[in-house]
Amino acid sequence: MEPRLRRYRTAGHAVVLSFVGLGLAALLNAPGLHKRAEIQPPGFGRDVAVALTKPLAQTSHALLLDRPRRGLKDALGRGADDRIDTRVVIGPVGPSKPPPATHASDRVKAHHASSPVKPSFNPPHPLRIWVAGDSLVAVPGQALERAVGSGGTIDVLAVESRVATGLGRSEIYNWFERFRSVIAAVRPRVAVLSFGSNDGHDYMSGVPAGHTIGKLGSPSWMAEYRRRISGVTEEFAQAGTYVVWLGLPIPRGNGYREGFVDVNRVLRAVAAAHPHSASFVDTWSMFEDSHGRYADYVRDAAGRLVRMRAADGVHYAPAAGDLIAHTVLRLLKAKFALASR
Amino acid sequence: MLFPTPTFAIFFLVVLPLSWLLMPRQRLWLPFMLCASYVFYGWWNWRYVFLLAGSTVANQVFAVAIYRSGREPVRRLLVAAAVAANLSVLGYFKYSGFFVSSLENALASLRIPVASSVVTAALPVGISFYTFMAISYVVDTYRGEFEPTSFRRFAVYLSFFPHLVAGPIVRARELVPQIATRRDPRRVETSRAFQLILTGLFFKVVIANHLATHIVDDVFAAPDRHSSLEVLAAVYGYAVQIFADFYGYTNIAIGVALLLGFEFPQNFAAPYTAVSIQDFWRRWHMTLSRWLRDYVYIPLGGNRKGRLITYRNLLLTMLLGGLWHGAAWTFVAWGGIHGLALAVERLVGDVRHARGLPDPPDTALRRWACRLLTFHVVCLAWIFFRADSFARAADVIIRLFTAWGQASPLVTTSVVLAIVVGIASQYVPEGVVDAVTARFHRLRLIPQAAVVAVSLMLIDTLGPAGVAPFIYYRF
Repeated sequence: MEPRLRRYRTAGHAVVLSFVGLGLAALLNAPGLHKRAEIQPPGFGRDVAVALTKPLAQTSHALLLDRPRRGLKDALGRGADDRIDTRVVIGPVGPSKPPPATHASDRVKAHHASSPVKPSFNPPHPLRIWVAGDSLVAVPGQALERAVGSGGTIDVLAVESRVATGLGRSEIYNWFERFRSVIAAVRPRVAVLSFGSNDGHDYMSGVPAGHTIGKLGSPSWMAEYRRRISGVTEEFAQAGTYVVWLGLPIPRGNGYREGFVDVNRVLRAVAAAHPHSASFVDTWSMFEDSHGRYADYVRDAAGRLVRMRAADGVHYAPAAGDLIAHTVLRLLKAKFALASR
Repeated sequence: MLFPTPTFAIFFLVVLPLSWLLMPRQRLWLPFMLCASYVFYGWWNWRYVFLLAGSTVANQVFAVAIYRSGREPVRRLLVAAAVAANLSVLGYFKYSGFFVSSLENALASLRIPVASSVVTAALPVGISFYTFMAISYVVDTYRGEFEPTSFRRFAVYLSFFPHLVAGPIVRARELVPQIATRRDPRRVETSRAFQLILTGLFFKVVIANHLATHIVDDVFAAPDRHSSLEVLAAVYGYAVQIFADFYGYTNIAIGVALLLGFEFPQNFAAPYTAVSIQDFWRRWHMTLSRWLRDYVYIPLGGNRKGRLITYRNLLLTMLLGGLWHGAAWTFVAWGGIHGLALAVERLVGDVRHARGLPDPPDTALRRWACRLLTFHVVCLAWIFFRADSFARAADVIIRLFTAWGQASPLVTTSVVLAIVVGIASQYVPEGVVDAVTARFHRLRLIPQAAVVAVSLMLIDTLGPAGVAPFIYYRF
């Protein structure tokens, strides 16, 4: 191989090019940078980032330098990527509607969600499940997909996992809007939701006017978070969708513990208050050891010691997903009549 | 701190001018670069900075002791202790849960009472990389190939932030002399550096992330729900994803180092153009390949102890290489497939020579056939590398043959395009890349800055929202 021709410039050139190049890039990408700053966890770092990127975005807009990015995003159908949307719209959206009728027996039974007769489903008319949430939902959602396979009594419509999102801050991703569009478009019969791992902060956006919230776990924080979880549950219930709330698992160390405990308290309480339209799956205790402590390896259904947690001590390993999927399916079998043919 | 983030951009804009300003004074530059590298590393978890510092102190003590000792048995004992200490730390963080759970399950199958749970420590980022670099430093000192440098230089060598968390695995004899001499501020390969950084970002942010989120993750999570065409696209897609991810990271690392005045060794050379598995390992993660060759394969005897021992050494080296990637039997299987393929290639060559047969003619057709075969053996091994269990790997392989003709909504134009670009890019002649770099080099500063800015805008806009971590961070 011939030796490569080397082309040199001075270190000064490298430094100036880096500054000018990145400075121009910051102007061209200003809407994205501003959004990234806004969605950071609350604190000094976010305050500084917002203070820097807000004027940058304004300057970029004034100079029309944000046009190429916006145009390209629109062309890709991702125009909403850079939008900062802090609205939290929850609660019933209109007159109550039954879920789409699957077959004759279900058509009758769907009107009687509270009746002891279980709605029934079979392969031609499967139980349609939508799985959504933050990054923690990916592994259980995929396990659920594996467990039900394709063409069976249960159909997993989609697993929507959005990293770093939650119900506390809709500017990161507006799940409330997404729930409405999913209800309107696909009307799932069951929604398996996993939220809260990114909500354990002293801050929530979209708090109703005139209200403020206190620190994580304070009565006002709990009340606002409960308002959101209840609102989502009722919105789905009104569309005839049964909600399975996946709790948060015991984390390694103390960093996430307090927030996870508070979120679980809310999820459990909301599910208990809506016994006919929601359930809570306690994943915290599922991954404790016999002394109630965090463990990476826990015995699976077959009695083998298997890695259940990812290296970060928060997320699930695939075997944990299988365990959760197994629990969810058991719960659904108790709520619905699932015929194999 | 991840490379493709605004946080790293700000960090680098501070470090770059300060590094050049302090460069004339080693007394100031060395502690500055050490601090900068520790800030970079501590961004994930500051506690692990102490682990890195501890590794630095221990390995320097071992290296100096080996160098100063005149007695061979003592030197041998010291180098064995150093390697054992490094591997123990790596083993504790990376493999303790894996080996304990494997042992407990084996005992349980014999009906011996065992624990019901295992707790492990979080894996420090980059530990596999800097541990291998530290081992090479003490072993090279023992072999007399390298004299220990000063503590401060060694500390900068081990923690130098461009290579710290995912390589390339730079040898002491390559980097320490550069650290020891003042870098010439009139000779910075700026154009090549930006070409590497921009292509690296494109491969990581656009190609790798697109394939991961649009087909690979979905298919490998539940292969039974996908058509054979989707599974095939996901297998090819993963081959491209892991290349784009790691090649992208390496390019950024090499480019960042170049801007600081340092040159790292090449880590990739169009691996999917390889005509054999041996050729593949000369092109893929080249700095790991040569580490395994120099510190595992050759000490095992290499090819000096007969044919059977050579085959065994190839297999053992690749099994260990597999285990280095992660604490799971699927990684061992990945290494095993490569080891077996290397041994078979060697066996075929040996048989041919033993029978006095001539080498087959080197035709274009034969080369393409070899490339296709090599690529598919590599893809087969990637299935085990990506799957989270043998059962899932088997599902992927079975599904490849049993669900043709079904709808394949995941095989979109953009997915096919990403795969094609990922593979075709490896066939772009080096001269073309060089010509583009030369053209960029001839531009004045403002047009150069405009090219950099527009490229960054396109990459950031085309890439998915959020930053996915690099695959090799977890190794």
